[in-house]
Amino acid sequence: MEAVTATELTVNDLPWRIEWNPCLCKLCGSCVAACSFRAIEAGVEARRYIYAEGDIPEPVEGEKYSVPVIRQIAAVKNHCVGCGMCEKICPNRAIRPVRNEDSRWPVIAREGGQPVKRGGRANLNADDRTFDKIVVGRISQMTDPSLDAERHTFDILAPFGRVLPAAQTPLSVKDGRLVLTKPLPPVRWIYPLICGDMSIGALSPRAWEAIALAVACLNEKYQLPVRMCSGEGGMPVRLLKSKYLKYLILQIASGHFGWNRIIKAMPEMTEDPAGVIIKIGQGAKPGDGGLLLAAKVAPHIQAIRGVPKSDLLSPPNHQGLYSIEESVQKMFLSLNAAFKFRVPVVIKTSATASSVSIYNNLLRDPYHIVGGYFIDGLYGGTGAANEVSLDHTGHPIVSKIRDCYLAAVAQGRQGQIPLWGAGGIGMTGNAAADAFKLICLGANGVSIGKLLLQIMGCVGNDHGRCNACNTGLCPTGLTTQDIKLVRRLDVDRAAQNIVDYMLAFDQELRKLMAPIGNSSLPVGRSDALVATDKAVAEQLKIPYAC
Amino acid sequence: MVIKINSQEGSKRLSTQELLQAIYSGIEQGETEFEIAACGQHDIGGPLWSAKGPLTFRVTNPGQRVGSMCMEGTTVIVEGSASADVGWLNAGGEIIVKGDGGDTTGHCAASGKIFVGGRGGTRTGSLMKHDPAYAPPELWILKNTGSFSFEFMGGGIAVVCGVDVPEGVSLLGERACAGMVGGTVYFRGAPGSVTAAAAKITELDEKDKKFLTANLPVFLQKIARPELLSELQDLRPWQKITARTYAERAQKERPSLRDFRLKEWVPGGIFGDIYPDDARVVGLVNHAADRLRIPDWQNYAAAAPCEDACFARIPSQMRFALLRQNRLADAYKLILEYSPFPGSVCGSVCPSPCMTACTRCRVDEPLNIKALGAFSADIPAPRRARDTGRKIAVVGAGVGGLTAAWLLRLRGHAVTVYEKDAQIGGKLFNAVSRERLDFTVLQKELARIKSTGIEFKTSTPVDKKLYQQLKKDYDCVVLAIGAYQPKTPPWPGKERLLPSLDFLKKVNNGEKPRIGKKVVVIGAGNSGMDVVFGAYACGAREVTAIDVQQPSAFALEIDRAKALGAHILWPVFTEEITAEGVKLKDGKILPADTVIISIGEAPLAAEILDAPELDRGYLKTQAGRLLADNVYAIGDLTKLGLLVEAIGGGREAALRINAALHNEPYAAGPQTRIPVDQLSLAYFTCAEITAADRNASREDAILQEARKCISCGTCRDCQMCLKACPEHAISRTVKAEDNTYAYSSDPKKCIGCGICEGVCPCGVWRLKDNPL
Repeated sequence: MEAVTATELTVNDLPWRIEWNPCLCKLCGSCVAACSFRAIEAGVEARRYIYAEGDIPEPVEGEKYSVPVIRQIAAVKNHCVGCGMCEKICPNRAIRPVRNEDSRWPVIAREGGQPVKRGGRANLNADDRTFDKIVVGRISQMTDPSLDAERHTFDILAPFGRVLPAAQTPLSVKDGRLVLTKPLPPVRWIYPLICGDMSIGALSPRAWEAIALAVACLNEKYQLPVRMCSGEGGMPVRLLKSKYLKYLILQIASGHFGWNRIIKAMPEMTEDPAGVIIKIGQGAKPGDGGLLLAAKVAPHIQAIRGVPKSDLLSPPNHQGLYSIEESVQKMFLSLNAAFKFRVPVVIKTSATASSVSIYNNLLRDPYHIVGGYFIDGLYGGTGAANEVSLDHTGHPIVSKIRDCYLAAVAQGRQGQIPLWGAGGIGMTGNAAADAFKLICLGANGVSIGKLLLQIMGCVGNDHGRCNACNTGLCPTGLTTQDIKLVRRLDVDRAAQNIVDYMLAFDQELRKLMAPIGNSSLPVGRSDALVATDKAVAEQLKIPYAC
Repeated sequence: MVIKINSQEGSKRLSTQELLQAIYSGIEQGETEFEIAACGQHDIGGPLWSAKGPLTFRVTNPGQRVGSMCMEGTTVIVEGSASADVGWLNAGGEIIVKGDGGDTTGHCAASGKIFVGGRGGTRTGSLMKHDPAYAPPELWILKNTGSFSFEFMGGGIAVVCGVDVPEGVSLLGERACAGMVGGTVYFRGAPGSVTAAAAKITELDEKDKKFLTANLPVFLQKIARPELLSELQDLRPWQKITARTYAERAQKERPSLRDFRLKEWVPGGIFGDIYPDDARVVGLVNHAADRLRIPDWQNYAAAAPCEDACFARIPSQMRFALLRQNRLADAYKLILEYSPFPGSVCGSVCPSPCMTACTRCRVDEPLNIKALGAFSADIPAPRRARDTGRKIAVVGAGVGGLTAAWLLRLRGHAVTVYEKDAQIGGKLFNAVSRERLDFTVLQKELARIKSTGIEFKTSTPVDKKLYQQLKKDYDCVVLAIGAYQPKTPPWPGKERLLPSLDFLKKVNNGEKPRIGKKVVVIGAGNSGMDVVFGAYACGAREVTAIDVQQPSAFALEIDRAKALGAHILWPVFTEEITAEGVKLKDGKILPADTVIISIGEAPLAAEILDAPELDRGYLKTQAGRLLADNVYAIGDLTKLGLLVEAIGGGREAALRINAALHNEPYAAGPQTRIPVDQLSLAYFTCAEITAADRNASREDAILQEARKCISCGTCRDCQMCLKACPEHAISRTVKAEDNTYAYSSDPKKCIGCGICEGVCPCGVWRLKDNPL
């Protein structure tokens, strides 16, 4: 008899339980060999039975033996995350993770006095999405025929960069011809969806490269001008020097990781990058800096970032910026100057109650150097964050975009500083619907991140499955630097999946533009939407319908 | 008779309905030919039929949908051009437009023939279909069409002849054939942007040529342009558009991402220069370097609990392993490498921390390791190594000093032991009660020590001068002088106290020291119990042992003392020693004729050393029991402890000295205890003790114990791993020279599942992360 205390951790305390059927198991070892979290192990269990023979209670000792078994490890460190690789590999369907409704996880996970950290996305109220309370309710019918989504020529382009109103365009007439008296601020008309902001480091080299490949392929082979943002963590030098740089947006965040190599590569760049994003904050963990746990700081990350192996924390704010005026002037000027004012520079903040103030400030932009405002809302994903930030901080994106857009409208300045939204776009799988609705509410475009991982094969979800991006043990090879796990990811297939999704996204976007009769993106066409929830309707100033 | 309908007279224009009603009444009157001067009225020509035979409409200036829903047997001839939707839903009529057709000419036509002598407008031919119960519809256009022609075309035949196409205008407009799923469009000239996703352009085959050759003259005749035949019947510029079949569309060609990566992407990948990646894609289960984890046979990398709990680090699991292999002599001999006192210490007076720690306690009861000691009491000393010529002096012939001397001597060094007493054996000889220790066992073991050729200089106290000399004369000196100065608190009357060691020494020498009838022993440790036994043996009638705390003596010894009639009192605090006995702090008096103090002793280090550095009375040493260069200090001199602690100290000093003399690193054996969760205890169940067990011989009983040993941390050679490995990656090899075995796992076969680790009862197979 083993002594077990009542306070001892058992598998029933963990968020997922492993269901293993000994009758189906042939002990091939595949499940244990495949589990990157080492949540299961082989072990031995004793069996014995006593029975009574005949018609009176006459005890007979039956067999007594010990058998190898597959069992779950009852430890916080080795907790099963429900990724299901065991189930996937098992030839006999003998094992699978099952969500444990009696989990005591939230109270045991803080073992060791450390806040819970994880990757993934917000798991709180994930089902209560504003997007799903809005429908495209204004359908062109007899008054105006709807467009044919299949065959109509749509202009699906969004500005990335400062758009000057006609009156401010520096034009004059010289010798009977219109000429520019000074250069226009750079603006790129790109696809209204950016593959967003996931760093080298957060992603495995193959995952990052797959996104870059897909983006290049979409541009080169399908004429879909999708852009990818590097995330904070630099860019591979080979890419910086390649012709594909023009599809990449560089990010600079508070840690300024990776910029040494970017600057050094400048003389050898044959193309300008598509743009620069100044990252102030992130929607998934607003007010908290970047976080890359040491397990993922592989040698190449150390080299690109110029740091030793350690937990890498970007400060929650930029060290040299003390006011919004300074942010605008100093950061925007420096980054505009970095590429000789040829490359548009935008800024990204977490969505916050104060986003409108920020946008109002940006809208002034007397120097024409503010190329856009990216607002990153709640429900975005992250490679690693403190769970308390992930679940309990942030601001939903929908009303925030709306508020900012209406603030610009009130000043007659809409469309000058493009508004881009992110945070939970495509959370339920259909990014086109979410993007379309956000555009109707005033966004020029959207950015997606976690969805890309899912497209590439991530098995995580918003209900606590996997979300172990921070551990470096990603079972699909997406968010790990361990070559043994990275090899699980087929770059071509991952990239192909993204290409496919984008092509479908494009079709679906048309399927939404056509019914409302828009040939170009319906930015701010909130009349196209109705809300099925009164509060949402009221807040967003769109009609309520039921 | 031909009915003539003029739709406009003066300012009066017939509405569409009035015009059509006029036609209906004409047909009802049996008329079949109509000449209609229309004025934009819709839907002229169908759906109409007559029992009298075919209907013919000659129309000028019709409105939209001329010939709509036109039926078989109806001919509509439009002189000049027509407006939109010519032949809309044509269901079999023949519609001839001499001029241009408007937008959506032939829209949804499903049978019949439409001949247009000019252009077709936008979306010409859209949604044409072919009902297989009837001949396919035909739509003939002499010139060209507007954009989006033949959208959603599902069947039928269209012919666009490309006559008089203006410069810069494409024959079929922009994006023809979007959504086309069936039918054929024959065309002559540059077609413009045909929607490749839906349709494909191919050359004519013989059937096509035959169709055109046969029907072009008919078309030209219908539209009265026979002069064009020679131009058009040259079929070389003709091609045709057909829809991609459902199957073709399903497998539509798309750029391969792999090709893009290999042919156009940054050569070698964007991370190729900084991240070593061979581009292989692996599954979830792999071999060799791709395994997530790798097993390692870590035999005896960790100490068994019995070994770890023993101060002499005696690996009893090894002794049981040898017993299981039926190597009884080897099993009994093994302990002599650790202690020369298996019988008198292990088997007799040792409290056996090994058994307290035994993992088997978690299953039922500890293995009887104590009993195992007795088997080694009678065996001769092992063979000595060749003489090394090195000399070691050991000062003090207690268990610690003798252990050091024994092990060093077995390793071939010349050892001289200096002892101030006439006897060797120290406290084991002098102080341990013969009640507790069979004297004959001790004598045998002391004799065995002497048999190795250690030189003993008894009755030779070592003073400071001699010590200096020893340091000069010997390679190494081991100080093991023990602790003999009784600790005595400054109680009034302490001069009345009898030190326990003096008393016990006399008892053990058979001197029967004189004591009173009532004896109080201060200190109720094991030594105190020895005093109790001695006191009764010397004639005491009433013995009381007192202590300030719970007595530290073993329960067995306390029971034995109590059985003799002793009282054990605690907590009791002494105030004064008087003629009456022991006066306590609470005022009570414990009457005593003799009071013996047994609360421990301190060493007399200052007799040998100048200004010895002490810690609470005991000599401080550096790491590795080193006191000074080549001088080691062990035993009670450094810390008052169990006999086995002194043995352990002696062994460590001996091994360190031996290593130093051979210029080798000191190998201590595993220093960490194997965690119990690495063991698989499920194999071991609570053993039932049978009558046979109870009656078994000593040897059979110990062999039975050996079977029950879990062999913590040391391979049990059970072969569970060998049999359980799903990949048959594990092999067991035996070394020829010493007959030792080892297990290993073949990386080429192993998948890193860790079943070997899981089934290993002993915790020897360890699965570790694959660092590759």
